[in-house]
Amino acid sequence: MADDRQSLDSLLPVVYQELRKLAAAYLRRERPGQTLQPTALVHEAYLRLMKDKPNRWQNRAHFCAIAAHSMRQILIERARARGALKRGGARPRITLDEGLVGGSEVSTDLLALDEAMERLAALDAGQARLVELRFFGGLTVEETAEAMNISPATVKRHWTVARAWLARELESAPNA
Amino acid sequence: MNPTRWRQITDLFHAALEREGEARAAFLRDATAGDPELLAEVQSLIASHERSGAFLDAPAWEAAAHLILDDERALTGKTLGAYRIAEEIGRGGMGVVYAAHDERLGRDVALKALPPEFTRDARRRERLTREARAAAALSHPSIATIYSLEDIDGELYIVSELVRGRTLREELHGGPLAREQLVPTLVQIASGLAAAHEQGIVHRDLKPENVIRRADGQVKILDFGLAHIDTAPDLPAFKRLTEAGVAMGTPGYMAPEQFGGRSIDARCDVFAFGVLAWELATGEHPFGADAAALLTRMTELLEGRSAGISRHLAPPALDRIVRRCLRARPAERYASGREMLEDVRALERASGWTSARAFDDTDRLWWWRFHQVSIASLNAAMPIATWFVRPLVRPFGSWLFFAALAAATVSVTLRLNLWFTSRVQADLLPEQRGRLYPSILLSDALLSAVLIALAVLMAGNHDEVAALLLTVAIVILASLALIEPTTTRAAGLLPPRQR
Repeated sequence: MADDRQSLDSLLPVVYQELRKLAAAYLRRERPGQTLQPTALVHEAYLRLMKDKPNRWQNRAHFCAIAAHSMRQILIERARARGALKRGGARPRITLDEGLVGGSEVSTDLLALDEAMERLAALDAGQARLVELRFFGGLTVEETAEAMNISPATVKRHWTVARAWLARELESAPNA
Repeated sequence: MNPTRWRQITDLFHAALEREGEARAAFLRDATAGDPELLAEVQSLIASHERSGAFLDAPAWEAAAHLILDDERALTGKTLGAYRIAEEIGRGGMGVVYAAHDERLGRDVALKALPPEFTRDARRRERLTREARAAAALSHPSIATIYSLEDIDGELYIVSELVRGRTLREELHGGPLAREQLVPTLVQIASGLAAAHEQGIVHRDLKPENVIRRADGQVKILDFGLAHIDTAPDLPAFKRLTEAGVAMGTPGYMAPEQFGGRSIDARCDVFAFGVLAWELATGEHPFGADAAALLTRMTELLEGRSAGISRHLAPPALDRIVRRCLRARPAERYASGREMLEDVRALERASGWTSARAFDDTDRLWWWRFHQVSIASLNAAMPIATWFVRPLVRPFGSWLFFAALAAATVSVTLRLNLWFTSRVQADLLPEQRGRLYPSILLSDALLSAVLIALAVLMAGNHDEVAALLLTVAIVILASLALIEPTTTRAAGLLPPRQR
């Protein structure tokens, strides 16, 4: 775990830089052909870090897991910081871009999502990790399957139920 | 719930999804026989699955793109073009605002970094450029001046006057404004609005957050004509209105026609001014403290009924002004800031802001006018006097005469101009006086300096003349330092002394 901690520290700046690149590309609404593919994030960061410290990463799957986790960490920290700035420390509510999270049916609060994922981890740690890889890491079903060493069909099944559960948790969460 | 239970739920969920309609219902009934809680749990998960749409389908960096890029330009300490960034002073939907130093012109400015959407979207960018150009033409003491719109390394920045002080929102945290502060504040805001409306510029987002009072008491309206950049692009107005906790944001200041996206004109600002005036007078929002009350009032307004605000403001004249601002139909409000300003000014005159309550309007100005004319006459006489003493003081006599002539001409002209304004357009007098006073001060000081110089040069040879000139110089200076402030304050042209 101490080793992971170290890996995470060296990874954060790289992941952050990639995150910005991706977010900017998305906001420019480049046509799909020109968009950086979701995995490019992880891939590029991977290549860059492999050049620096080839032995730190056990394998690509390990790397993906850590990259996704650090992205989650970055986003949650930022959501907190921003909320604290806005309301003087009250519980922040960061609504995600609505056009992307299913129209207006479900409005997603990043911090509420993070808390719900913690609760999900208590029920099924694998499902929580899977959501982390898919949503925060942006991995496809196939890549997630590879990273978790399970079949794509299983990934889909877990994803469906975890997503339904999280959506319900967020809907019932108090919006205070 | 525990992991075992969750596994059971998960399995049932998947098995049920493989079946449709009646078969699914029957399956679930059988599978959960005797455990209604389990049945409810699985059913609610299926319902959630069916309405979750594209929930979480897009990766986080797209869903939270704004969050990631928000402070991409955390610039403190850096130099951007000609601007050295000193510190971050604000942050909101419209981007980040920094205090910066313009190295070329050597002045402090506010630099607002606009969100990336403006840089990317050509139409929004063009509109912003056009509006910034219009707003930059505004020059008024109550409006924070826009200096320029800068494109630095492909990012857009609005450069404007740096205003430091407390926003009216911050002042409102301490309750309503004191009576003697309220009306002058309203006059300043209304006169800024009036000036802008006359140039065809509408603020569209007037609210306590957008008005700052500097330490010297001057009130400044921020972001004139640029209101649309302050609205979060991902949240339509009605949505923000219904979100708990943010109800007292902008929607509480929007005129009903703004909700429908219908034509926006000066009367929207008049409405917002009404809300603001109420808030400053009472410390509370006229439409109530919570989102539900706000919605009720807004519904009344949207239906064309004016909000039934039960409380009344004192004095009644203020109540009438505010109610006229808050009419649901734009046609029933003041047509523009100018019309509103006249009423607020009348209120100011009536509310005894001055210490000379006993005088009526004309009397209050009498002493001030008398003072202006007297000093103007005295000043006018001085070039004549210096003309005669000129040969006595060689070699500087002629130069001092010309200096006295120039100073006296400026001072007399400006004082007579003010005197004339007070006779013809008394309502413009406070602004006019504020503008001209520094020049008057300077020319009077110069004139007395010339007189003192002459007196010093003549002392010893022509003591009687020197004494006379010195006396006049002292009279001018004393009047400037003591008599003029008193008559001016008595005329209601200056706020009462701060305690």
